[in-house]
Amino acid sequence: MDPALRAAATGMMAQQTRTEVIANNLANVNTAGFKRSRAQFEDLLYQTIQGTQVIGGTEAETLPAIQVGRGTRLSGVQRLHEQGPIEQTGRNLDVAIEGEGFFQVQLPNGELGYTRDGSFQISDQGVLVTGAGYTIQPPVRIPGDGTELTISNTGVVSVRRGNEIMPTEIGRIELARFANPSGLLNLGQNLLAPTTASGQPVVGFPNDEGMGRLQQGSLEGSNVEIVQEMVEMIAAQRAYEINSKSIKTADEMGQIANNIVN
Amino acid sequence: MSSAASALQMLERRQAVLANNLANASTKGFKAETAFSRLMGNALAATDTAVNLTPGTLTQTHNPFDLAVNGDGFFVVQTPNGERLVRNGSFQLNAERQLVDEKGNPVLGDGGAISIPPGQVEINKAGLIEVNGKPLTRLRVETVASGADLQHEGGTMFVPDATRKAIAPEDRDIKQGFLEESNVNALTAMTDMLSVLHRYQAAQKTLSTIDAARGIAVNDLAKPV
Repeated sequence: MDPALRAAATGMMAQQTRTEVIANNLANVNTAGFKRSRAQFEDLLYQTIQGTQVIGGTEAETLPAIQVGRGTRLSGVQRLHEQGPIEQTGRNLDVAIEGEGFFQVQLPNGELGYTRDGSFQISDQGVLVTGAGYTIQPPVRIPGDGTELTISNTGVVSVRRGNEIMPTEIGRIELARFANPSGLLNLGQNLLAPTTASGQPVVGFPNDEGMGRLQQGSLEGSNVEIVQEMVEMIAAQRAYEINSKSIKTADEMGQIANNIVN
Repeated sequence: MSSAASALQMLERRQAVLANNLANASTKGFKAETAFSRLMGNALAATDTAVNLTPGTLTQTHNPFDLAVNGDGFFVVQTPNGERLVRNGSFQLNAERQLVDEKGNPVLGDGGAISIPPGQVEINKAGLIEVNGKPLTRLRVETVASGADLQHEGGTMFVPDATRKAIAPEDRDIKQGFLEESNVNALTAMTDMLSVLHRYQAAQKTLSTIDAARGIAVNDLAKPV
């Protein structure tokens, strides 16, 4: 009964982790630029029980070797970078990325962080910052007399200065792309950091070389779909339940074995 | 008595196989093990296992590197222990833009490991990878003869046997943006588990009865009347 008990226990643990991942996805259903994750599992190493020769009646035969699996385990939690819905907000400092790429921001520790959350603000120093106050790199400084800020698809930021009729270009937003965005490290606050798994950032202008294009007045919503997550959650709960039934059955068999001689 | 004992052992193994199947009910590309019982010699029962290759349901994920084989066939990955066959096509790019599985093992194409340049990646039915409309390479897809002795290895990988052979591009049906679910049928597994439990109970009763009968033979027959 022991292998059955252990295998079932690994199943319950796996489903618990899956539920935690789903709960985090659901908690971020309204987080701009959030990318959902999925828990992935793999089967554990198999034990081969060698067949032994037995003599039944008058014949000798060798029992076949059988493979007994040891259950399951979490092989990874993969973040899925599929596009979230682009939602119109009408606010001219909201920018969504349609396609690949991340905004680059300056973190307090001097390193660069990456985000898909384009709900920008203008800081008291007059530079473009993210909602959490991190400066966009390269910095875009907005002159005090600038009005009617526009951000083009390709990242060009322009304002109208004073009484001028023609807008003036004041900077350009750049994007960074990674070979394996799933390998980026979550820093919280919608920020990601590069790792050896993600590869080094490739920087470029929006709409160039496979980079996504920008859309002013919009935000990228979370790519979490409630119905899909609910279905996953129900499946996880059922799988949890069924593994608990395995444990119960193995336990009953153990009791029966203990009562062979009574 | 030994046949009742071997039945108990056989049922315990069946239960272990069922528990492993159920534990992997949500493991992508997992194939259940079917346990067969057979009678050996006069009365001894033995358990035999075989990989059940029934396809699992394909679920759409929209992830460009999630691949599923519809029908017959396996993807080939290069592991430190040699080439392995997998049905779990949850692939991704590593930092060098190589197509790898969840553990970082390279997925093999006709020319070995596959490096994918930036751009729009399309993988067609026949396993041809195209980037921005330009053909790059073709995925290797293999199969084994029916009834082959396929061995499960952890990580939802299978050790190929001598019957492995490539599937011709025209006979493939690769689905991009899909993953294959585990083929464990919870209902069948639960029913099997209950029947194992009941038969275990019966075998235990048999064993106890034989033991009681022998007890009478040993202790009571020789008693002076």
